[in-house]
Amino acid sequence: MTVLRCMALALGLALAASRAEAIEIKEITTPLGIKAWLVEDSSTPVVALSFSFASGSSSDPENGQGLTSLTASLLTDGAGPLDAQAFKQRQEDASVGLGFGASLENVTGSLRLLSAHRDEAFELLRLAVTEPRFDSDRIEQRRSQIIVGLSQADQRPASVAQRTMMAAVFAGHPYAANSSGVRENLPTVTQQQIRDRAASVLTRNGLIVTAVGDIDAAELSRLLDRAFGGLPAGAPRPELPIWTPPTKPQSVNVDRPVPQSSVLIALPAIPRDDPDWHAAVVLAHILGGGQQSRLFTEVREKRGLAYSVSSALRTQRNASLLVVATGSASERVADSLRVIKAELVRIREGVTDQELAEAKTYLSGSMALLLDSSSSVANLLHSLQVDRQPRDYLDRRAALIGAVKAEDVRRVARRILREEAMTTVVVGKPAGAIAEP
Amino acid sequence: MRRRAALGGLLAATLLTPRASALASLLHVSRRPSDTFTLPNGLEVVVLPSSRAPIVTQLLVYRVGSADETYGRTGIAHFLEHMMFKGTGVLAASEFSRTVARNGGRDNAFTGFDMTGYHQTIAPDRLELVMRMEADRMVNLRILESELRPEREVVLEERRMRVDNVPSAMLDEAAREQLFGLHKPYAMPTAGYADDVKRLGVGDLSAFYRRFYAPNNAVLIVAGDTTTEAVHKLAEKHYGPVPARAIVPRKRPAEGGAGLPQRVTRADVRVPEPRWSRDFLAPSYRAGETRHAHALQVLTRLFGGSETSRLSRALVAQDKIALSAYSGYGPTALGLTSFEITVQPMRGRSVAEVETAVGNQMKRVLDGDVTAQEVERAQNQLLASAIYSQDSLASGTRLYANALSTGGSIAELDDWPRAIAAVRPNDVVAAARHIWRDEGAVTSLLTPAEGWK
Repeated sequence: MTVLRCMALALGLALAASRAEAIEIKEITTPLGIKAWLVEDSSTPVVALSFSFASGSSSDPENGQGLTSLTASLLTDGAGPLDAQAFKQRQEDASVGLGFGASLENVTGSLRLLSAHRDEAFELLRLAVTEPRFDSDRIEQRRSQIIVGLSQADQRPASVAQRTMMAAVFAGHPYAANSSGVRENLPTVTQQQIRDRAASVLTRNGLIVTAVGDIDAAELSRLLDRAFGGLPAGAPRPELPIWTPPTKPQSVNVDRPVPQSSVLIALPAIPRDDPDWHAAVVLAHILGGGQQSRLFTEVREKRGLAYSVSSALRTQRNASLLVVATGSASERVADSLRVIKAELVRIREGVTDQELAEAKTYLSGSMALLLDSSSSVANLLHSLQVDRQPRDYLDRRAALIGAVKAEDVRRVARRILREEAMTTVVVGKPAGAIAEP
Repeated sequence: MRRRAALGGLLAATLLTPRASALASLLHVSRRPSDTFTLPNGLEVVVLPSSRAPIVTQLLVYRVGSADETYGRTGIAHFLEHMMFKGTGVLAASEFSRTVARNGGRDNAFTGFDMTGYHQTIAPDRLELVMRMEADRMVNLRILESELRPEREVVLEERRMRVDNVPSAMLDEAAREQLFGLHKPYAMPTAGYADDVKRLGVGDLSAFYRRFYAPNNAVLIVAGDTTTEAVHKLAEKHYGPVPARAIVPRKRPAEGGAGLPQRVTRADVRVPEPRWSRDFLAPSYRAGETRHAHALQVLTRLFGGSETSRLSRALVAQDKIALSAYSGYGPTALGLTSFEITVQPMRGRSVAEVETAVGNQMKRVLDGDVTAQEVERAQNQLLASAIYSQDSLASGTRLYANALSTGGSIAELDDWPRAIAAVRPNDVVAAARHIWRDEGAVTSLLTPAEGWK
């Protein structure tokens, strides 16, 4: 396969260049001053909107954990003159997909519509964000659903591992998602608290909007003003406290009666605006970013220790982590951890020229693979906006990745992969010694 | 090769003049054009051109799945799918995915009861590369003991992750055994029983590969930024030389499980809240009373397909018996399929309360209380979801793969909006009466360790 490989690599450079022009992003500002990114595409009679407000569950008030999530889930449960059933009936009659959720730092929303029903779709969006009802029977129902959802998540090893990891790495910081706090506080949350939370979160300040599909700039501008124009300007969001990354290795085991244990290893990474960011992206890819990665080869292919093993960068506004995730039969968890940790040490010695070249080709081309549907394009561009990237980032990304040198990867590996900052979480019934970090 | 006209407004105008405008307007939305042709060796090819993004997806689906296994040798189809990523005479072990990745693409595969699919998404100028490799492993796969041994552990880990770690998945396995009959094709888990997977060897997988992997037992679907001409040329060049094999037609039992109705319970310390489900044997597009297949899609939509469906309104919104209540039905199968009702009860509600409430809603339908208005709403929702699915390259290719690997045709796919729009309230009632019978039902209870009353 040598010939094939050379051909592929040579073509890779041309590929990166040609893909940059794949989509044209316009930036619009409406008469009322709402900004949005727009990709026009009339190949399907569908429009997808991805948007977010600038506060999320990490700014839940004290003793109000879970309030932001609950508030977001209630936004489509009736608004203006429409009770929950009437609102959903209007949605279904026009085939409008509208949903809200809360992440740590945002309340996010998505709207999907057939272009024949644009006006109705944006009218429902307007009602949801400006006149939500928060009827008490819906509050009770959503509250119960969230609490049951938490109990169920508490029995899924991967969810428990995720929650445990966040609690350990972000101890004392609002990012430490506190689900027991949610369970305690949610039953006491009042309708007034929900109204107040909605009023403080749903503002134009910090609103980020991306639209993709069968709609032009003038039409989008008109409809955005209609949907969001009635929102108050709002205050800038308060800054979250500074996060101090762990400086000691920690290992947390959570006992669960499952045949396969869930494993996470988290390391504090570097900020999104660090000059080494793209080197870190390359590092995460070579380490555990796909079927060619070192972890996949060593853990799965050679030893059959896991079905899934990966590493990825995860960013919040004030923190970033490199997280390795896997799952192994309880009697083999110790082996998996040993192999993974050996790889974390080995990659500090650097990567081969071939690994670097292949990672660059993949990472330059792979963004285009996310352009599968209107919604996926909208989500991708929206996440770039949340990360405060410029509109031409997709054009420049290939060059930024292409400029990464082997020594950059080695340097960033040594910056990130430090044993003393490693948090290891195992959820299950692992056999053998796994406690040493 | 056959150029298909998109479904236009003509049908809508002639057949549906009296119907509401919303439905007619959805019918007017044209399907994306597709081209089809068949190579001399029997490989069926579908091309779905779309220039919205500079990517192309190749999906090769074989007409074989876990339902083609025999009891005692379960898990072969899925294990073989894993081994397809090992070497061939031409390609070294694991080079398939590595080559795709180093060319900026992604690949994966899936195994179902009736089909096994392999797919890659990549830049259009790499389509030939992935076609060459996919055609290569259609005929040149080498299954080596040394590669099979560690991969067996991977397959078992996948089973642990998807099934053994998930109490509801274990209950679903048990429910299918009752519904379709122990040791019968659709009753055997796609992941295989762990004891079987531990015993499978090179001989089992090789024999299965030789029996089912052939161009005349496969469908190739290419979607994205390419042309029919380009795909035709490449398919002839790479798949054309692969010889056809004699393929024995697949069979599925005409009957479901014996001794129904049955109840299956799983009490598990890992279950925090109970769940109630009832599955009914149901006809598919291919098996049983197939004339009900479209009406059943309308039925599940209006009965339990959304938050305004009958189940949700009655059990969740009004009576507050449940946190959620849904139904589901998939008509795309070679054999019989199932119609499922699932209720997540409100804390403190009893099994009897749930069963009475669901029973009351079913009785209304069985008594003939189905309005033209709610049928039309369900039809609108179904047609709209089909338009949304055309918005995605991935779901577009899967739609064709599912149909064409289970005996369906493109003509049927094209006719689907009209067939859905033609369903009348009395068809929905007749379909419900046909499947909602005790002798086709399995009730399953997922409960905490201490049970659920």
